[in-house]
Amino acid sequence: MTDLRPTIFVIDDDASVRDAVSNLLESVGLHVQVFKSTEAFQNASRPDVPGCLILDIRLPGMNGLEFQETLEKAGVEIPIIFITAHGDVPMTSRAMKAGAIEFLMKPFQKEDLLAAIHHGIDRDRLRREEQAEISVLRSRFEALTSREREVMDLVVAGLTNKEVAARLGISEVTIKMHRGQVTRKMEADSLPGLVRMADKLKLRNRR
Amino acid sequence: MQTNPPPPRRTRSTLQRYGIALLSVAAAFVSTLCLQHLFPYPFLFLFFGAVMVSAWFGGTAAGLVAVLISTVVVDYFFVPPFYSFSISATSEAYFGAFIACALVASWISSSKKKSEEALKETRDQLEIRVSERTAELMKTQADLAHLSQVMSMGELAASIAHEISQPLTAVVAHGHACVEWLSASPPNVEKARQTADRIIQDGTQAGTVVSRIRALFKKETPAKSWFYMNEVIHQLTLFLRDEAMRRHITIQTDLASGLPRIMADRIQLQQVILNLAMNGMDAMAETTEDPKELVIRSRQEGEAMVVQVEDCGIGLNPETAEKMFDPFFTTKPHGTGMGLSISRSIVESHEGRLSALPRPSGGAIFQFTLPIHSHEFND
Repeated sequence: MTDLRPTIFVIDDDASVRDAVSNLLESVGLHVQVFKSTEAFQNASRPDVPGCLILDIRLPGMNGLEFQETLEKAGVEIPIIFITAHGDVPMTSRAMKAGAIEFLMKPFQKEDLLAAIHHGIDRDRLRREEQAEISVLRSRFEALTSREREVMDLVVAGLTNKEVAARLGISEVTIKMHRGQVTRKMEADSLPGLVRMADKLKLRNRR
Repeated sequence: MQTNPPPPRRTRSTLQRYGIALLSVAAAFVSTLCLQHLFPYPFLFLFFGAVMVSAWFGGTAAGLVAVLISTVVVDYFFVPPFYSFSISATSEAYFGAFIACALVASWISSSKKKSEEALKETRDQLEIRVSERTAELMKTQADLAHLSQVMSMGELAASIAHEISQPLTAVVAHGHACVEWLSASPPNVEKARQTADRIIQDGTQAGTVVSRIRALFKKETPAKSWFYMNEVIHQLTLFLRDEAMRRHITIQTDLASGLPRIMADRIQLQQVILNLAMNGMDAMAETTEDPKELVIRSRQEGEAMVVQVEDCGIGLNPETAEKMFDPFFTTKPHGTGMGLSISRSIVESHEGRLSALPRPSGGAIFQFTLPIHSHEFND
């Protein structure tokens, strides 16, 4: 389930460019879905697989940069490769700052496009793996009792068992027991492992 | 701009004017004679009418003549003793009142007429001025409409670039795809053939775009006419004033008087000066020089007219100065790099020269020369 076939999404209002990009990607064995507008992309049911979006910067209605913002606000995290007919320096830097993978000038070369796509897919895959890991950790964390969560909080903050016991006003033996439970439930192999998990769950920044 | 003379007013000859006086009094006399037996007292009001008519149509003098004739006629025919110029004592007051009333009637009528005419004249002049102004405004508006087309030349270039690059992008991508389909093992010949077909389609499409653009520019044949360069410059400064104000720049002109007219394409040269002025203003965008001044000068040098656009901006970069007139060369983030290149080709098509030189106290001077044709025929 972790390694589904990646899909490349293409949004371009120009049919000839859309067809050509899709033909090129298919010829190198990539799976492609094309859309003639940003609305069509938003309304389509898209497979939940790693991928990236090839977006023309010049689109009728909302332009590519605005759509990038819209997606971000909607929580759609997909790497974007912009293509444009006329290189506009301020536009490029804005797009890159907003996290675009690449900014390709038309007509672009196959190598540049494919390199950007692979970079995009890798990034998306990594993000997805991380998200999956976090959601596993979250469900484990949610299985802890509130006392165990308190203990975990203090332990990952660097406190010794003795200090934790003093802080919570219970015996050190009980703390040890809770700590064992936490380690077991979170499936951590060591204290540093537990700290890393807390980091991913952003627990340590709470206080 | 000269004001046209008001339309000629209808004027009557002296004879006509006194004729009016005579006729109207005669009419009043005949009517009074006819009506006399109806009234127990001399019915003289019709003479006032005659006086008023005379004063209205014939002027003050005719009015007074009418008063005079009426007095004589009334005295002779209607004031006792009848058929005599002598006046009985009883009629003296009555007759005196008649003369006074006639004089007043004449004065009222002629002065009313005068003020009416003055009013009419003012109205006519106003109408002429309005129509002149309207014509002027319409001309300016037409010029501005054209200028705004010129202003969007950069946008036009961008849109042409987009139109051509679309099919070109498709051709390149399909080309890569075609190679991929053929390099596969086994080669996918059917896909490669389809791809080649698409390349032909997109290539043809690019060709269509090109010929459409060519047709667009072909229509613009240079339209040469005689005109005064200073007028063009003056108009442009009016047009640019708002933009300059927005950028805190003042536009000054130093135009030599008595420059001869030149035979050229007015619109094209407008484009050139506009382009130089906009460049100058752009160049001053980043300087702190105060006041920011753009000076447009014109003068005659021998057989040539020289127009200069002077700014106190960032000046010329010696490294880029040579490439400045090349197509697509630009130092501006949004520039098309076509402005100076098009300007130079316009000036050269008029047998002139466009050049740039540094301004001694900072900034740049762009100038072009145009030959003055001495065989101008004065119309």
